[in-house]
Amino acid sequence: MRAAVPDMSGQVLSDGVRVGYEVHGSGDTTLLLMPPSPITHSRSWKAQVHHLSRHHRVVTVDGRGNGRTDRPDEARDYEPAAMVADITAILDEVGAGKAVLVSHCHAALWTFSFAALHPDRVAGVVAISPGIPCLGEPNPNWVEVGRHWTEDPEDPEGWLMCNPAYWRRGGYENWIRFWFDLLATEAHSTKQVEDMVGWALETDAETMALAADREAPDATRQASVDLCRSLRCPVLVIHGSDDRCQPPSRGEEVAELTGGRFVLVDGAGHLVAGRDPVLINRHISSFVDEIEERPMTSHTWTRGLDRRLRALYVSSPIGLGHARRDVAIADELSKIQPDIHIDWLAQDPVTKVLEAEGHSIHPASRWLASESAHIASEASGHELHAFQALRRMDEILVANFMVFQEVVEEGNYDLVIADEAWDIDHFWHENPELKRGSQVWMTDFVGYLPMPEGGDHEAFLTADYNAEMVEHIARFPRIRDRSVFVGNRDDLVPDLLGPDLPSIRDWTEEHFSFSGYVTGFAPPGPDQAAGWRRDFGYGDDEKVCLVTVGGSGVGRALLERIIEAYPYARKEMSELRMVVVAGPRLDPGSLDVPDGVDVVGYVHRLHRHLSVCDLAVVQGGLTTTMELTAARRPFLYFPLKNHFEQNRHVRYRLDRYGAGRYMDFESSTPEDIAAAMAGEMARPVDYLPVETDGAARAAHLIAELT
Amino acid sequence: MRARQPDLRDDVVRDGVRIAYEVYDNHGPTVLLMPTWSIIDSRHWKLQLPYLARHFRVVIFDGRGNGASDRPTAAAAYADREFVADAVAVLDATETDRAVVAGLSKGGHWAGLLAGLHPDRVSGAILIGAAVSLLPRDPARTVYPWDQELDTDEGWAKYNKHYWRRHYRDFTEFFFSQALSEPHSTKQREDAVEWASETDAETLITTEMADEIGGEEERRVLESIRCPVLLIHGTDDRIRPHASSQYLAELVGGTLLTIEGGGHCPQARDPVIVNRAMRRFVESVNRVSARELSEVRS
Repeated sequence: MRAAVPDMSGQVLSDGVRVGYEVHGSGDTTLLLMPPSPITHSRSWKAQVHHLSRHHRVVTVDGRGNGRTDRPDEARDYEPAAMVADITAILDEVGAGKAVLVSHCHAALWTFSFAALHPDRVAGVVAISPGIPCLGEPNPNWVEVGRHWTEDPEDPEGWLMCNPAYWRRGGYENWIRFWFDLLATEAHSTKQVEDMVGWALETDAETMALAADREAPDATRQASVDLCRSLRCPVLVIHGSDDRCQPPSRGEEVAELTGGRFVLVDGAGHLVAGRDPVLINRHISSFVDEIEERPMTSHTWTRGLDRRLRALYVSSPIGLGHARRDVAIADELSKIQPDIHIDWLAQDPVTKVLEAEGHSIHPASRWLASESAHIASEASGHELHAFQALRRMDEILVANFMVFQEVVEEGNYDLVIADEAWDIDHFWHENPELKRGSQVWMTDFVGYLPMPEGGDHEAFLTADYNAEMVEHIARFPRIRDRSVFVGNRDDLVPDLLGPDLPSIRDWTEEHFSFSGYVTGFAPPGPDQAAGWRRDFGYGDDEKVCLVTVGGSGVGRALLERIIEAYPYARKEMSELRMVVVAGPRLDPGSLDVPDGVDVVGYVHRLHRHLSVCDLAVVQGGLTTTMELTAARRPFLYFPLKNHFEQNRHVRYRLDRYGAGRYMDFESSTPEDIAAAMAGEMARPVDYLPVETDGAARAAHLIAELT
Repeated sequence: MRARQPDLRDDVVRDGVRIAYEVYDNHGPTVLLMPTWSIIDSRHWKLQLPYLARHFRVVIFDGRGNGASDRPTAAAAYADREFVADAVAVLDATETDRAVVAGLSKGGHWAGLLAGLHPDRVSGAILIGAAVSLLPRDPARTVYPWDQELDTDEGWAKYNKHYWRRHYRDFTEFFFSQALSEPHSTKQREDAVEWASETDAETLITTEMADEIGGEEERRVLESIRCPVLLIHGTDDRIRPHASSQYLAELVGGTLLTIEGGGHCPQARDPVIVNRAMRRFVESVNRVSARELSEVRS
């Protein structure tokens, strides 16, 4: 899912060509984001849009030849003058008298030309890796490409694949793959490369060949110098030191000639806006702030010793499990530190739990892009590829980190408690100078693990992500002031983090403290359990089987399969009663059930029902299965297909406890399931006990930092 | 040792009174640091000077009655208009067309007057714990008359000319315990008491009898200010209430930085936040004036 949906999108006709654009947000200043085209389109700004549109009106453009813009078949339709006309058409269309023009690579030629022609319509120019021809040191590779441009090389390699004849003969994709691998000079850039390749493949060889031919037809050094000197607005140039497309000396000269500011991102390549999004977002923001000349606003600064102890709690919204355990930990923390004030930066469904418990939700929470909606959108049937879903959540993570960073910069928090708040931990390691307060990092699993279906490539990707984490922690031990593993040493899987990496066990033991498991509540005693059963209407003579898929909206397939199994199970257990919890997102009426099966929607305090049922059938999430383990109930669990955490980490932990029965959804027939239900109900419960002091232990580990 | 030595030390004489100033050379805009009440001299800016001088040209002078400046004996010499005129004379002597002017307490009062009366010389004004005459002092201070013999010398009864003559040092110790009300302010109080010992009771008595620009007259001057204004005020200011800067911020359309828990001298007690706010303000003022200048030229 995207981090931000546009408020408006459309196409404008410019010289007979339909040019696609989107508008996000509102504000006094309009920013026009111009990608180079046709090699990419407006989605290449995906890490910028949410952040910038929270403060300004943002207009993104699909340049000619890609995205939702036409792919005209005349070469002249790709000349800079045509692109300049498109900018005029779009600014007119959205009613922007003036705008800040942000460009990448050769799109700088278009924005600069527009600014030269219409100085009154340009408040400022941001040029990332600007491709203003002939400036800076020449790139010998481009010279070589130019020399062979009109030839038809037989089997070109490397840079020489940049050739229109080769593209037309089917070499376009080879070139694109080579090209973006080359440009992503930073380690751990797999996602950025995949994105860029994907967008480049949304156009075709013919379009690319036409456009590339007319990219800068009349380029001379003098023309470029004159163009830069003619700019009258503030200019910001950002350039990676390792840029293999546009040499950094080019950006430096552009800044010099325009009297602009030059920001060199040391160690960055050509894809800097995607690879260092936090830095780029902040530079663009402060550039626009300066242009707007916002006066200082009145505010209060509190002397250090007059400040109350403040913590910001960020709880992962993926599943409800974190919310409950985090509330329990926060309550324990308040017992140790009665003066502490805790704000929560949280989103649905965490906010539901927090509101019910009367916790303080930071108002900036409303800006957060939805992670749980993204995860739901990634699931289908009984499948969720958790690792890829997290990777594809990249723009949401950037968006939410930018919100978080603004909150910590204004909030004087002593402590940030991040329970699987991936955005915070990742981007603080990527931008270590931004850290504020102490960080407590909490998680209940360590290490991405590949699923067999993903083959070698997925193994390579998970190892690359794990390697990045290992390098982050090794280089910046000061970013996580304390790491808490919600569980015990024996819960750690024995796998390696990757082929040349330490084992998950060794590495985690070295870097984490262990709180034990945190259920968030104590299981009921016998009297209370009996009372609850009476309250819920569960008779002494009936065996109640609770079937639940949580609040995720993923799970209709599982519910239907279990309902199918009911008649078979009933044959073996005549006293069996089945209660199916559809959850808040599935319509209970949409499920077709036989006699003996009740369907209910949302169940308040579901964990109480789970703790007194006779059997439960659930997905493979850690929270629910560990609740059942702690309450010592028999259960079957069906991990979502391709969900590495449920299939690997959770299953390993449950095996250690001797709890529940693992079930494979795909291969289990209703008869199999009925047999497993009977078998599990007959099995004596000899699970290892689950500690009840986990929340208090976690709170003590946190309180040591206060 | 001082953290930074001046590049130029000189003085300017007005009506026979010698005003000592210092210049810290640099490129960019000039910051003029005003004196405050003659009880202390320009060293009350000691935590600002090295920092500001790294970023701006800084001009600073001792007010009449303390430091290296003369201590005239006539009350007329300590009138508000004389301090404002001294500031103009120092700007002239240092060939400073325009400056961002900053003042603490009484110095904030004069900085505001300078901005209102000489708009062509002031591009921005920073008023810290400003002691403007048009607003009342903290009520705790007005219980006892200043010029009558009292039968007590407890608390603000020490703010009394007879007590000053008898126990000047004790008065200064009391006064700065109030002005620097934050816990753990021993060093700041020691500094202030020592600087106060460089002048005397008679000089301060003379300053108290001088003409003020206050009331309606001052309000009109302050209302006429057109340059950006930054106000800084502590919520625990026992010399001038925080509410007075809230009122001023409204009156002049200024920005107020409130220091929660701060006393009357945040530049001494919370130098980092004050320094950074001052720099940011000077830079923002300078950007605006640079643009105006280029618009005029083109």
